[in-house]
Amino acid sequence: MFIGAIGCEPLQLRRVHLENSRSLDVYRRNGGYEAIKKVLDSMSPDDVINEVKKSALRGRGGAGFPTGMKWSFVPKDSPKEKYVVCNADESEPGTFKDRYLMERDPHMLIEGMLIAAYALNAKTNYIYTRGEYKYLIDIMDLALDEARAAGLLGEKILGTDFSCEIYTHTGAGAYICGEETALLSSLEGLRGHPRMKPPFPAVSGLYASPTVVNNVETLTAVPDIIKLGGEAYQRLGTEKSGGTKLWSVSGHVNQPGVYELPMGYDDMEKFIMEDCGGIANGKQLKAVIPGGSSVYIMRADQIIGKDVRMDYEGLVAGGSSVGSGGFIVMDETVDIFESTKNLTEFYKHESCGWCTPCREGTDWLVKIFKRIDKGGGRPEDAQLLLDLCDNIEGKSFCPLGDAAAWPVQSAIKRFPEDFEKHMKN
Amino acid sequence: MSTELIKVTINSEDFQVTKGARLIDVCRDHHFDIPSFCYYADLALQASCRMCLVRIEKMPKLQTSCTIICTDGMVVTTQSEEIEKAQRSMLEFLLANHPLDCPVCDRGGECELQELTFDWGNLEERFVEQKNARAEKYLSPMVANDPQRCILCKRCTRVCDEWMGEDAIEAGNRGSNTVIGTYGGWLNCSQCGNCIEVCPTGTLLDGTYRHQARPWELTQTVSTCTYCSDGCQMSLGSRGDELMRIVARDRYVNGLNGEFLCIKGRFGHPFVNHEQRIRTPLIRYKKGGKLIPATWDEAIRFTAQKLDAVVAAHGSTSLGVVGSARLTNEALYCLRKFATEVVETENYAIADAFCVKPFFDSLGGPLATHHDIRHAKTIVLIGGEPEELQPLTAKQIRQAVRNGGAKLILINSVPIRLSEQASQFIHVRRGSENAAVLALADAASDDLAARKLGVETSELNSARQTIAETQGDVVIMFGGELSSAAQAVVAQMPYTFAVEGRRICLHPLPLFSNSIGALDMDMHSKTLTDVLEAASGSIRALYLAGSLLPEHLQKSAEALSKLDFLVVQELFETETTAFADVVLPAASFAEIDGTYTNNDGFVQRVRKSIEPVSQSKPDWLIVSQLAKELGVDFGFEMSASAVFREIAERIPAYADLRYPALKDESQPVQVKHAVAAKRDLTNELDEVRRAVEGLSDDGDKVGETPPVGHELFKLGTLTDKVPQFHLLAAGNPKPESFAISPLYQITIDEDLKREPAAV
Amino acid sequence: MSQQPINIQPLSQPVQMPEGIASFSPEIEAEIDRHLAKYPVMRSAILPLMFIVQRERGYLDPPGVAYLAQRLKLRITDIWEVATFYSMINLKPVGKYHIQVCKTLSCKLLGSDKITQVCAEKLGIKVGEMSADGRFSLSEVECLGSCGTAPMFQVNFDYHENLTVEKAEQILDSLP
Ligand SMILES: Cc1cc2nc3c(=O)[nH]c(=O)nc-3n(C[C@H](O)[C@H](O)[C@H](O)COP(=O)(O)O)c2cc1C
Ligand code: SF4
Ligand code: FES
Repeated sequence: MFIGAIGCEPLQLRRVHLENSRSLDVYRRNGGYEAIKKVLDSMSPDDVINEVKKSALRGRGGAGFPTGMKWSFVPKDSPKEKYVVCNADESEPGTFKDRYLMERDPHMLIEGMLIAAYALNAKTNYIYTRGEYKYLIDIMDLALDEARAAGLLGEKILGTDFSCEIYTHTGAGAYICGEETALLSSLEGLRGHPRMKPPFPAVSGLYASPTVVNNVETLTAVPDIIKLGGEAYQRLGTEKSGGTKLWSVSGHVNQPGVYELPMGYDDMEKFIMEDCGGIANGKQLKAVIPGGSSVYIMRADQIIGKDVRMDYEGLVAGGSSVGSGGFIVMDETVDIFESTKNLTEFYKHESCGWCTPCREGTDWLVKIFKRIDKGGGRPEDAQLLLDLCDNIEGKSFCPLGDAAAWPVQSAIKRFPEDFEKHMKN
Repeated sequence: MSTELIKVTINSEDFQVTKGARLIDVCRDHHFDIPSFCYYADLALQASCRMCLVRIEKMPKLQTSCTIICTDGMVVTTQSEEIEKAQRSMLEFLLANHPLDCPVCDRGGECELQELTFDWGNLEERFVEQKNARAEKYLSPMVANDPQRCILCKRCTRVCDEWMGEDAIEAGNRGSNTVIGTYGGWLNCSQCGNCIEVCPTGTLLDGTYRHQARPWELTQTVSTCTYCSDGCQMSLGSRGDELMRIVARDRYVNGLNGEFLCIKGRFGHPFVNHEQRIRTPLIRYKKGGKLIPATWDEAIRFTAQKLDAVVAAHGSTSLGVVGSARLTNEALYCLRKFATEVVETENYAIADAFCVKPFFDSLGGPLATHHDIRHAKTIVLIGGEPEELQPLTAKQIRQAVRNGGAKLILINSVPIRLSEQASQFIHVRRGSENAAVLALADAASDDLAARKLGVETSELNSARQTIAETQGDVVIMFGGELSSAAQAVVAQMPYTFAVEGRRICLHPLPLFSNSIGALDMDMHSKTLTDVLEAASGSIRALYLAGSLLPEHLQKSAEALSKLDFLVVQELFETETTAFADVVLPAASFAEIDGTYTNNDGFVQRVRKSIEPVSQSKPDWLIVSQLAKELGVDFGFEMSASAVFREIAERIPAYADLRYPALKDESQPVQVKHAVAAKRDLTNELDEVRRAVEGLSDDGDKVGETPPVGHELFKLGTLTDKVPQFHLLAAGNPKPESFAISPLYQITIDEDLKREPAAV
Repeated sequence: MSQQPINIQPLSQPVQMPEGIASFSPEIEAEIDRHLAKYPVMRSAILPLMFIVQRERGYLDPPGVAYLAQRLKLRITDIWEVATFYSMINLKPVGKYHIQVCKTLSCKLLGSDKITQVCAEKLGIKVGEMSADGRFSLSEVECLGSCGTAPMFQVNFDYHENLTVEKAEQILDSLP
């Protein structure tokens, strides 16, 4: 599996191939913990937030919300504790970038969190990692101990009077706990149900205190922003979304992997056909889901010769969206009805069951898919599926409902033939 | 909530609404009807059913009106194609897995899901797949459960947590497998059944009324609970001459308790039609002989002669009259009238375990209503165990703290469950509660009090401080632990803590449904103890309306057996009737008209739901007939309202009241208890101080929270007639199979039967 | 004095408590304390503690549940509602080796079906079952984040990636 940068200097992936890249020592010898030093020596919390604003960094967890702005929502004057929570629940099908960042370069995440904690005056911080990634939790715990021993964590960090702690926390198998408010419920020891917004976590999050939830990749970008300076970082990418982004590529490509590309990399066709080594076994490209499973599926002809720019605006224009940047590539042999059924089963399994449309809707969708699969398809089923999706979309309590609807809607609209052949009985 | 008005436009009509109002309420107030399942006033927001969707200008996608607080200039649409489609689709989703077995569902006819479906009509069923079947079962002797009908509005789990503080029932599993249940499938809790009440569908069902009747066969009669002094309003569902069930469903009744009832109120009614009810008057012609059925004429004549004889021989004071605190005001009034006007004896008293007369004699402020409690800012609870003895009060306290941010100062020798809500729990030594009253009223006695209570003086300070600093109402409650003098001191606390612009309300916690009415009817010429001690001494004959409480009976059994004559009015043969020469069958609360006065001072109607069982008669009527036989005609004829009219004429606190004025249970009327002026409390305080000095310095404190139901499940004469209570008294053992009613256990295994303990 | 620790019994637990309460070695207790120390609110440690109880007792058995309720001062239903929400928490016994084959799209595209099939044949159990000797359980699970190294399965917590039928068989054979 490939891990590396294309079309730019590796930033996030700078150290991943080094011997012992996990160790504090290697991290330090390669520019590690310089950013936090700079911050503690010469920057005020507001300076940090401003740099992050200037960097045009957008959340890498899926929502793509400008990180600097999110940080600035935290009420400075609030007497309550503040928390920074790292979202390492990475459960979006086709997404596996955070995993390698933590596996190969845990200290980068720690440094990023330290800077965030400093900027938001958070004394206690958590890394919420999905339970299946236990080995990553162990890696993080080791790294945290190293950092603690080196005076980079805990009381009086680097001899300054900035003190803060970072703890790992484990999930236990629930995709929904990636949703930030569900994650907080889970971190409080409750069922992983999302919470009402407003109030937003920045105002009332963990233990009803101001909380910032950021994806791993978002936080690991912060040290470089500080080192390069906001503008410089932004210029690596586009005006609206700065820096580089990690793309997880899986499915029928010759070279799956984690690719670091500058934001706004063009174009998608080149990326799949050349950078990723093209479609496996000399087959033809049929479809790509570019943002993890929760986005519109794209037909080959929406990609080939369309030079789709790889950033938020570009992918929307291209007919999908960035999501979590998980490319799932499918060749001509794939039956899109099958693949959509597979994803729908995923959402049914992961629906938390809180709200009616998602709970009952996903269950019903799966039942229909199964019936059709068993040969019980009826011509009107396509319409029925679309209507059910329409009844889920925009009415569910949290975005998982939408996430379940979109793949089905786009698949039926963009690959009608694959559905029709199952539905004419 | 502020009173500032803002403008909201709904379906292009403008309305002035109070700032902070919730959109769904506003829409409904203005008769734009909004469907909803999960929204329930005063419970935590859920926003999960997604039925209440509306369109709000300048907002992306449809919004759930249950979560929206109105803002000025908000423009709302509640009816449009888009909205109708959305709402219908939510209903379709909910019905997808809902078994369409309304014809066999106990809730059929009262089911919110069914009603909405029928209201909207023409729902074609597009769902042709297999439903996720789930088997019916019992969760407890009281609660039956059909999981497949559940729409997961989670009202049940929220009332269990927020009202009862029990959290006994919860949602388990995830996604479409989510179910409401418990660990191990067995429900151990106080069995209040409020989860059943608030369930909009037939998922949680009254296990004691399972498959017994359809709602539409029942006649609904709004009445007042006969158990505790909270006076919950309830709807008695009767078919013919049988009382089938009791609910507080807001479609039938809207009292001070909302849809809340406790286990006794909801499930404690089967005694009404119980086969052991006394059917006819009974006469014991010679001491030691049997009680032999007789006609009413015979019994009344016999009793009258006997009473006459006793009075002739020993004078009118040789007759004692005792009434139960569960009798209606009408009955108690007639009893007193009988004592004072017919036989002219001073020896009349009330059979109550905890008499709050000293409190009312010095009453220095308003009685707190349950609404006051819910909205109080500080609540002081001295002694008592409302959770088990006045459950509605406990619920109001809990909500005041949890939903209203009130402070609860709990002074108790036991860490009762409410201590989970307490902002300050002053854990005192057993029996030292009076010392706390002393300290609250007189800081000078802190050291003494603290020593006897076994607490730090700082604790007493901070308690007084909290009270002093409260912005808003303070409610002071007390239980049966307080002495007469201490009661008087508490009664005057509105003066002690008086501050401009805030109310100090008082809330006594007597035990019975009409303990307060009994005071108002002035049945307290003597204390019960005086009367019983005189029994078979100066008192030769006793007239008991209702049995004695076990603790009193034990002490006076001897005396009763020596009386020349004892007449008892009762529903059942009890240990008291065992001594009686004449037993007169009384009608239960479900069979009579009348009024109770609760611990808010509300006079509330008791209404006749079924005809008196067998030959029983309302207590007040029996008394008047006896009076007539003895030559005094009360002139009430057959009408309880005539009795009440006289009460209203003769008893100042009830002046001008009439039954019609008490018609609407949602607007209860508070009687005007005389408020005593500020009094010099030196004597009372001295008395309390002396008593406190007498306390030991090393009394113990109870360390453990008593289990749920330690009072509620005790079997009394009435609850003894409810088989389910025997299971609970036996610790609610988990049966082999939940598929059948756990009641079978009773027959399977006899030693689960328990003896009645208290009333 | 009144500051003496009073124990507010979580409601109605005396009756609801399953028979017996699990107990653990001082080392484990210390580990548990370390987790509790991370959070201002005890309840937050519920998932880490569940994993420990599972590790020590194979699954969340009634004594384990009772232990958690008592240790975290929670009601038994609180443990239940949480335990049943998360797919990695088992209230029923699971095999010594829990084979979890990822069935989500990326793995599916690269033949996760075959992997599941070969496991099922080799272990002689169906998906969702446990072998009679209690050594193996087989499950199909949703995306485990190794789409780039698909197909894969997890044996307990260990990732085995880029699987082929042969490789899968070898791994199963090599399990002690
Ligand atoms: C159903 C659902 C699942 C999500 N899963 C994840 C996830 O696994 N990892 C993640 O970082 N963000 C996930 N998110 C996004 C988070 O809600 C949140 O936007 C993100 O963590 C914010 O961090 P960021 O601003 O750095 O992206 C998910 C959102 C939804 C609605
Ligand atoms: S959409 Fe509703 S049911 Fe689905 S995950 Fe979100 S809250 Fe839970
Ligand atoms: S009532 Fe608003 S979502 Fe249920």
